[in-house]
Amino acid sequence: MIDFHTYPVMIKEIYENDDELYKVVKNVFGFGFPPQPLDLFFMEMREAGVEKAVLLPLDCSKRHNCEIVSNEIITELMNKYSYFIGFASVDPTMENACLKLEEAIINLGLKGLNLDPAIQGFFIDDKTNAYPIYELCQSLKIPIIIHCGLNWSPSALVKYSRPYMLDEVALNFPDLSIVISHFGWPWVDEALMIAIKRPNVYLDTAILYSGTPSETYKKIFESHIGLEVLERSLRTKILFGSNYPRIDMRRSVRGINNLCLSNEFKEMVFNDNAKTLLGFKE
Amino acid sequence: MKTIINRFKLISKHEIDVINITDNVIKTTHDSSISSGLALIMSLHTTTGIFVNEGEPDVEADIKNQFEMLAPENFSYRHARFLATDGQMAINSVSHIKSALMGFQCFFPIEYNALVKGSRQNIYFVDFDGPQERNYVIQILGN
Repeated sequence: MIDFHTYPVMIKEIYENDDELYKVVKNVFGFGFPPQPLDLFFMEMREAGVEKAVLLPLDCSKRHNCEIVSNEIITELMNKYSYFIGFASVDPTMENACLKLEEAIINLGLKGLNLDPAIQGFFIDDKTNAYPIYELCQSLKIPIIIHCGLNWSPSALVKYSRPYMLDEVALNFPDLSIVISHFGWPWVDEALMIAIKRPNVYLDTAILYSGTPSETYKKIFESHIGLEVLERSLRTKILFGSNYPRIDMRRSVRGINNLCLSNEFKEMVFNDNAKTLLGFKE
Repeated sequence: MKTIINRFKLISKHEIDVINITDNVIKTTHDSSISSGLALIMSLHTTTGIFVNEGEPDVEADIKNQFEMLAPENFSYRHARFLATDGQMAINSVSHIKSALMGFQCFFPIEYNALVKGSRQNIYFVDFDGPQERNYVIQILGN
């Protein structure tokens, strides 16, 4: 099982010798739970049945003058522990963004790009700042995860997070794999429409806004969208993502498993779709 | 009268982890050199518990299973919402309820620098929301 949406912000070891990180994780990212030893990340994975976790950093250099964990630290964690699949982050509004991305992918070996427009402060369809990044990702053949919809960060601005803006991006970059995070909630229908229509657009399951994962998945996937729609039209398009440590992996996995979906569908959500996107399988 | 507070950390490895801490309480009592008094054992969390029971794996499993039934996961808990102070979704009401039902402390008298306890009595720390790094204290009071 692959969890496509996790953050390193609860790993105690990364805070050593970095007093500033506490402040930005709290004030910019909005996470205040006390850090825990790295081993607990792996134990959480084991309890949930997750074998690999996509680890997401966030570069918010322009708007917040910080990185919520650098690409280098993500690389170090990935190289040291096979449980991690490291993604890069660059700030599209910075002049050196393309160079930094090339460095992260080609030299550091990171596997994809994480963008959070609502925190970083750019419009998804910004042709000046964002398009060169998309172009580069397409040529580097790496997936992008883009956060849309509700963002718990206190610094996030909702005006940057509408999923519909990805429609044109997906059209203009047909070979770029784009994952809309959080299923775009509350704009689930927008995100759903684009994922159904555009072959290169995917959705992750980090959708919680109130209630437990079981309640939320039941409400959104079963009552609102319909499980038959997921099975028919989105089998290859949904990736399991927990949003750990904002939401625990264990209960997120159980929430999906509690739905009356076919085993084949669940296998694709938990494993196959992520592997395909990451180039782990043909 | 002397009072000594000893702080301990442990790491739970499972969502519900029943951890026997008896040996540590016995050793801490012995090391305190208190010959007559009281040992108070207390968890510092709200999703954990302390209990005393027979040190037998089936008893441990039965207690764990019964607590699962006392606080079912498929219930509409008010706590299941975003907590801005933590930056997390509070989806662990079941863990809080189990903790409240179990209690967070126990005590034993001390006599001749040893715990006064039944031969089958074991002391357990239980995590209802693991895996996590946890803390508990043993306070020794006496002369």
